[in-house]
Amino acid sequence: MLFNTTQFFVFLAVVLALFYLSPRRPRKYILLAASYYFYASWNAKFIALLLTLTVIDYVAGIWLERVPPGPRRKAVLIFSLAANLGFLGFFKYYNFLAGNLALAMGRPAHSFFLQIVLPLGISFHTFQSMSYVIDVYRGMQPAVRNPVDYALFICFFPQLVAGPIVRARDFFRDLWGWKQPSADDVARGVFLISLGLTKKMAFADQFAQVANAYFANVAGNPGALAAWSGVFAFALQIYFDFSGYTDMAIGMAKLLGFHFPINFRRPYLAASITDFWRRWHISLSSWLRDYLYIPLGGNRGGHLKTYRNLMLTMLLGGLWHGASWNFLIWGGYQGALLSIERLLRGEHAVDEEWNWSYPLRAIVTFVLACIGWVFFRAADLKQSIYVVGQMFHGSAGKLLLEPWHFELATLALILAIGEEKREWFERAIRAPAPIYACALTAMLFCLEIFAVVDAAIPFIYFQF
Amino acid sequence: MPFSPLQRRAATILLAVAGFFALDGLVFRTGLYTSILEPESSTGTFEQILRREQHAQSRYGSNLIVTLGDSRFAYYPRVANQHAAENGFFFRQAGVAGTDARTWYYMLRDLDPTRRRYRAVVLGVDDYDDEDGAYDIGDDLATLHYCAARLRYSDILPFTRSFDSSHAQWEAFRGSLLKGLVFQRDILAFASHPVKRIEYVQLVNRGFEEWTYGYVDSKKNVVGLKIDWTNMTATMPPGNEAVMDQLTRFVLYRSNPQTGHHAAFRRKWFGRLLDYYRGTPTKVVFVRLPRGPIPRPDYLVHKLSSSIREFASRPGVTLVDEHAFDSLETPELFKDAFHLNDAGCSRLSQMMAREVSRLVR
Repeated sequence: MLFNTTQFFVFLAVVLALFYLSPRRPRKYILLAASYYFYASWNAKFIALLLTLTVIDYVAGIWLERVPPGPRRKAVLIFSLAANLGFLGFFKYYNFLAGNLALAMGRPAHSFFLQIVLPLGISFHTFQSMSYVIDVYRGMQPAVRNPVDYALFICFFPQLVAGPIVRARDFFRDLWGWKQPSADDVARGVFLISLGLTKKMAFADQFAQVANAYFANVAGNPGALAAWSGVFAFALQIYFDFSGYTDMAIGMAKLLGFHFPINFRRPYLAASITDFWRRWHISLSSWLRDYLYIPLGGNRGGHLKTYRNLMLTMLLGGLWHGASWNFLIWGGYQGALLSIERLLRGEHAVDEEWNWSYPLRAIVTFVLACIGWVFFRAADLKQSIYVVGQMFHGSAGKLLLEPWHFELATLALILAIGEEKREWFERAIRAPAPIYACALTAMLFCLEIFAVVDAAIPFIYFQF
Repeated sequence: MPFSPLQRRAATILLAVAGFFALDGLVFRTGLYTSILEPESSTGTFEQILRREQHAQSRYGSNLIVTLGDSRFAYYPRVANQHAAENGFFFRQAGVAGTDARTWYYMLRDLDPTRRRYRAVVLGVDDYDDEDGAYDIGDDLATLHYCAARLRYSDILPFTRSFDSSHAQWEAFRGSLLKGLVFQRDILAFASHPVKRIEYVQLVNRGFEEWTYGYVDSKKNVVGLKIDWTNMTATMPPGNEAVMDQLTRFVLYRSNPQTGHHAAFRRKWFGRLLDYYRGTPTKVVFVRLPRGPIPRPDYLVHKLSSSIREFASRPGVTLVDEHAFDSLETPELFKDAFHLNDAGCSRLSQMMAREVSRLVR
């Protein structure tokens, strides 16, 4: 049940109706049932896995609170983390490791492969669950007593399959102190759902058609122009796809009285890679910072250790996306860029000021991000190397983008700058009724004339 | 009673939805966008022909006969009109390649809103009997693309229900409600080269009547074609691969199960057309078109019904003799497996004009 389908909107309408027509007490049960139904609509078998992880971390949370500090407490934490990482490792990384082991042993890569179907959203709910257990261990979060509350935290349908990764304290603050959404929340929720749908269907899916066509047949589209077209299209696809999904998730949560953190802040306007990572997939970046980079020592142990920590964090961030050398290289590339930037600019991250050099720095950052996306998108390492080679050493080739693709991209850039400098979207949400209505009308009309409706292009991050 | 902030927000959202439909209506239901449609697209071709025929009505007066059909109904109105002085009728062609009775209904409804503009409406069909083919004509979504610009709000439900499968119904529903979805590709192409498009539309608008009225078809023929109906094989001189492909795909087949779908479709849409003209002076004439250079023998399929023959019993409905154009069914007069060539078109024009004029007079 994709967010951009009629089926999902019927589901959402039913959930909203049941939620608000019922008394307050059973509402969380309605949300829990709806969330499991939503998950089961993909693959009912994995409900058992979701429940198992839920039970393990729920029990671990209570134990961690009861057991006094010491080795036993640590053992509970390790058990919980091992269970989470064990499941994640098995489903996500087994075949990758088995393939490489087989190659190292001189046997065919598929020798030890298993037919494994990746459970939907496992990377997201595992990280969310782990953050809860670690927070309880650190004493930053009281253990949740009510199993229904905890189960809902793990499987809440708006963010179950592709985030944003919500911290326990934020979720339970909303759940335990639930307030009827205000008129402003409703306006914001509807606006964000419309915006997300527009980003996904009118922008991401249009660029996806170019990117998919290119990466499906890179040899048939030789040349630098073709390579840059494919990569540029993918860069826009992944942004609009993922941020569109997130906007919808945040908007739906708002309609249900929950407040999720923002996950994207116009990353392609970033003027450095450090700035890019402050704007891209913020909930994952901050998770990696809080639960990996800082525990590794962060920037406290001198330059070399900082670079090592950055590299390790980004390598693991790359691996989080998927088990392949491509993701590892993508993570390493991001870590290397962050380290080089830190080396060049010193320890103190600069606040990016809009001055004459800003556009140039933003373009350089965007190009660097695009090079990284090659590894993210290509089928394998061989294809990645070929595409990068074509981007910089290929003949001119053929431009795969139509003029209207550039018009869409320009429109998006203008809107992004308007939002960055003048908070256009925020103003539209708070504006008097006619302006708010015009903004919604414009998005609906944009959907009508640009949305790809005949090809169900899944959200990219659903595979993670 | 004052409204709460939440009620006001809900009203604003409804206002936005209303605004969206108003904007959609302004752009796609007023002719604003239709005027810049790509002339060679399905909708563009349909609209060009419709506009051309609307203009022709004022030019040719009250003795007009309009013909509707698909690409097989290829004839030259200029040849058919050579005898206008004798029989008093002018022939005009409002057929569109690839269309069927459902599309013709929407074409005629806007072409003849008073139901008095034509002396006769001639409908070209490939067979008076009903034969179910390989695909379900009832689910042919091409109709949506041809007559998208003609669909009104009141058409949404009947048009949607006229498709058989739920998938086609859904597409027809959303396309007739939100026409922007149907015109998407056209809009994107327009956005890429707006000036070029407008110039091209203006050029076509200026010359469409002249080009189409003076059109001369190919002089190619399919002499040498031989078909073995027992083994379902065909032989042709080299260089006719496209014709062989047509034959293999659409002619050389064992009969399909006769389900009655085709008959139901014809009864419904020809029925609506006939109902439209019931009680008016306009006659409706059915013509069985030349079927091919070597038509499929009748014994290959047992046809269960003949909806067109049933219609002949209605007042104002006439059938041209089924075998009136059998003499045209030869390889010399066809350019491929279905379409008459230049000589064939000329012959059909004369013969059809003579037959129809005789019946209408």
